[in-house]
Amino acid sequence: MARTPDDQRLELLQGTLDMLVLRTLQWGPQHGHGIGQAIRTQSEDLLKVETGSLYPALHRLEKRGWLKSEWAVSEANQRAKYYRLTATGKAQLSREADRWSQLVRAIGRIMNPAQAGEE
Amino acid sequence: MRPDERELDDEIRGHLALSIKERVERGEDPKAARLAALNELGYIPAVRDSMRRVWYTRWFDAAAALGQEMRVAMRSLRRAKGMSATVIVTLALGIGANAAIFSVVRGVLLRPLVNRGEDRLVYIRQSAPGLGTTNTLFSVPEIQDLKSRVTTIASWGDFSTIDFNLIGFGEPRIVQAGVVGGSYFDVMGLRPVLGRLLNASDDGPKAAAVVVLTHRFWTTSLKSDPSIVGKTIRLGRISATVVGVLEPSVPYPADTEIIANVVTSPHHLGATMVTDRTHRMTELFGRLAPGASVEDAHADVAAAHAAMMREHPEAYSARADGRVSVTRLREQIAAPARTILLVLLAAAGVVFIIACSNVANLILARSVRREGELAVRAALGGSRGALRRTLLAESLVLCGAGAVLGVLIARPLVSVVAQFAARFSVRALEVTVDSSLLAVGAGLAMAAAVLLAYIPRLPSLDYRSGRPEQSRGTSGGVRITPGTNRRLRAFATVQIAFSFVLLAAAGTLLAALVALQTTNTGYDMRQVLAFDVPMAALAASDAKEMDFHREMTRRIDELPGVEGVSLGSFVPWRDAGTFPRLQFTAEGYTPADGEENPHARLRIVAPRFFAVLGVPFVAGRDFTDEDRAGDEPVAIISESVAKRVFPNGEAVNRKLWWTESLFGKPQPRRIVGVVADVDDENVVPGPALTIYHPVYQMRFAGRLFVHASDDPYALVPPITRVIRSMSAEQPVERAATLEDVRAEVLAPERLNAFVLTGFAGVALLIAVVGVGGVLAFSVSARTREFGVRLAVGSSPRALLMRVLSEGLVMVAGGILAGAAGGYAFGGIVTSYVENVRLPGPLPIVAAATVLVGAAVIASLMPAARASRVDVLQALRSE
Repeated sequence: MARTPDDQRLELLQGTLDMLVLRTLQWGPQHGHGIGQAIRTQSEDLLKVETGSLYPALHRLEKRGWLKSEWAVSEANQRAKYYRLTATGKAQLSREADRWSQLVRAIGRIMNPAQAGEE
Repeated sequence: MRPDERELDDEIRGHLALSIKERVERGEDPKAARLAALNELGYIPAVRDSMRRVWYTRWFDAAAALGQEMRVAMRSLRRAKGMSATVIVTLALGIGANAAIFSVVRGVLLRPLVNRGEDRLVYIRQSAPGLGTTNTLFSVPEIQDLKSRVTTIASWGDFSTIDFNLIGFGEPRIVQAGVVGGSYFDVMGLRPVLGRLLNASDDGPKAAAVVVLTHRFWTTSLKSDPSIVGKTIRLGRISATVVGVLEPSVPYPADTEIIANVVTSPHHLGATMVTDRTHRMTELFGRLAPGASVEDAHADVAAAHAAMMREHPEAYSARADGRVSVTRLREQIAAPARTILLVLLAAAGVVFIIACSNVANLILARSVRREGELAVRAALGGSRGALRRTLLAESLVLCGAGAVLGVLIARPLVSVVAQFAARFSVRALEVTVDSSLLAVGAGLAMAAAVLLAYIPRLPSLDYRSGRPEQSRGTSGGVRITPGTNRRLRAFATVQIAFSFVLLAAAGTLLAALVALQTTNTGYDMRQVLAFDVPMAALAASDAKEMDFHREMTRRIDELPGVEGVSLGSFVPWRDAGTFPRLQFTAEGYTPADGEENPHARLRIVAPRFFAVLGVPFVAGRDFTDEDRAGDEPVAIISESVAKRVFPNGEAVNRKLWWTESLFGKPQPRRIVGVVADVDDENVVPGPALTIYHPVYQMRFAGRLFVHASDDPYALVPPITRVIRSMSAEQPVERAATLEDVRAEVLAPERLNAFVLTGFAGVALLIAVVGVGGVLAFSVSARTREFGVRLAVGSSPRALLMRVLSEGLVMVAGGILAGAAGGYAFGGIVTSYVENVRLPGPLPIVAAATVLVGAAVIASLMPAARASRVDVLQALRSE
């Protein structure tokens, strides 16, 4: 697929990275690089996660108990640290998803009052 | 779990590998892929740090960074060995002295007693400041009065000190004993470790004689013999059974060895003891009633005491100004040591201040030398915090090492100081090294470290503001800014000031001590031996005892090397405080209006006493063997008595008599002689009103005096043999020349002077090194200035004088500051050596002279170096 030039990329909204990471891990354990790639491909290259933000986020989530990590050998025969969602992590994901959709609706009403009125 | 550094690195490395692999698979050139991946990753340490930050707090990092800094500091200090060693030793002296003295202060003044409920335990003290008596003790009628009136004290314990001739534990010996009522141990809250203590069933004249041993006596004299309970011993003429051993506890009074019930002392059951209100020989302890405070009890007891004095005016002379006080027993025990320990603590604190200012100077000088290094770091973006941390790390390393060495020094010091303090309070004997020593050492080191880290000025600010003053610093030579110079001098002045205070105090004590030791006492000090040969060792009448003493005197007189023998009732100074002063009057004497009859000391002596001790007669004759019981009562008086009661006339052949009820009906005695005044109670001789009675009329002696022609101590074994050959049960103890008796009494004074002189010596040493160091440093930094001065025609001699005068200015400033501050300190010193007349300003002048002299010597070397500066080299040096 074609790569999006840097100036077209979107800045990640404050506080959404955690949610995206949790969401990405819903499909199974993944290592940091894989998570970054997944976010990028699924956003069709619009979102790019800085390595310098991703790894601290992973550690932060692990510290809160939403992720668990273990070392394993990747499909590319490379030792990597795999993160996986915990039960509390799943609960957190659904909380954040709810909050996110509320936020989107609220902002949508402000930005497009007509459409909001139709609802 | 927290990932460690390696795990974080592994994770980043894994990421990098996957990232490169992916790019290569996409068809990028491996080299370009690697660069792109690295580029995407960013600054790796920053990434790793942001991951770390999730797990570790800022404090943890700061501590880790400080640890790193400390490793660097250790390496950098290893290159400045001389300075580091000086700093560490100086700090160790300061910290060690403080830690040791604090341990003792804590053990003696602050630690609770082992007695159960010790904070409710009080000591009741009666004093007569008008007669100069700080503790008059209580008589039995007084105790009964207090018990019936005071409600804030729930229970009372009484204790009277008495000497017994103890027979049954090896050699016959004198033991210091207490005779107590049955409530004593209960009030004191003490338990036995063996057998039982005394109780109410041991009271009264019909009880069996029983004895409790103190733990110290049991362990030291009896080697903790477990079968001691039930053993029968003899106390004088009375047989008593050992019923128990007391738990380890602080005895009060200090040297009590055994404690017995009342029947062991016939005197305690006699009419005088029970009915005479002025016959005071009992100490009184109490346990506060529930809810009552010490202050309540004090007010209550004072009121009861005042009422008692109003009801019995005959027993309380107005001049005596009788008082009573209630204090916690713990404070009463510690009281004699309190002032001296606090003075020591203050002296140690002063040494610490001096040590810190000296170390501050060294650190300041070092930071001037490394200004270049700090400037470079600041220029490279080192924050002020980071620079400060470097300095803090260095001072922590130095102070930590100083603290470790200081605590090592303190350990043996504690026992030395404790032995010293034991002269003032028995509690010092149980002082041990404990963790508080470490805590004090660490606390002082931390305080010093923080102080020292904030002394040097950082260059960074000056760089940013572009002040030229500092920007010259990197050009090779060392430069001192005026600010730094002022600080160096200020610290040196502080050291001098405090050293001066300590030196002046020590000098004052030393001068007082020398004055005491060289005082003319009026006795022949060197050749006279005194022995305790207590009476009542024999189961015989007083008359028989007198025969025994007469025969003993005769036999000793025949020994070779003996020039004279006599008996007395009182060893000068050693027995001070054991005999109250008594009131007397004389034929034809009426006290002036508003005055009472004078008080005098009663001494009982045998014939030849004055000749043996070297006291000259002013008039009349000595006692003779003919002055016996049943003959005419006679007396010899001291010159002061003669002047007081017979101001205008001959005293010999006049009559005087005691007015105290203790003596029953007044019995006039004819004065047969007048002798020179000797003050046998105070080390600083004062006028001594003394009345002597002949031993064969008073039938009381107990002290043997022998005048030796050669070495007095060579006579001790033969004299002991003579006495023992007459009676195997007669104790013969504490043989010493009068000179040594007095030296023993002066020992606390000598120790005080010695310890304070030690402190002053350490302080002087540190301060002199400090002044010399400041000058040496200032000279080395001013090589160029001296070169210029020499080049424009200054003579080397002028330079020498210039540097010397700089040193003297510092010293003069220090002495002035010290003299001002020392005024307060002097007040404290005089308050605890109150019985010593302070010897004028001489020691203070001497202290100043010593300081100036030492400072001149310390300044000479740097001054000489300044005068020898090579002009060309100096000018070329930049």
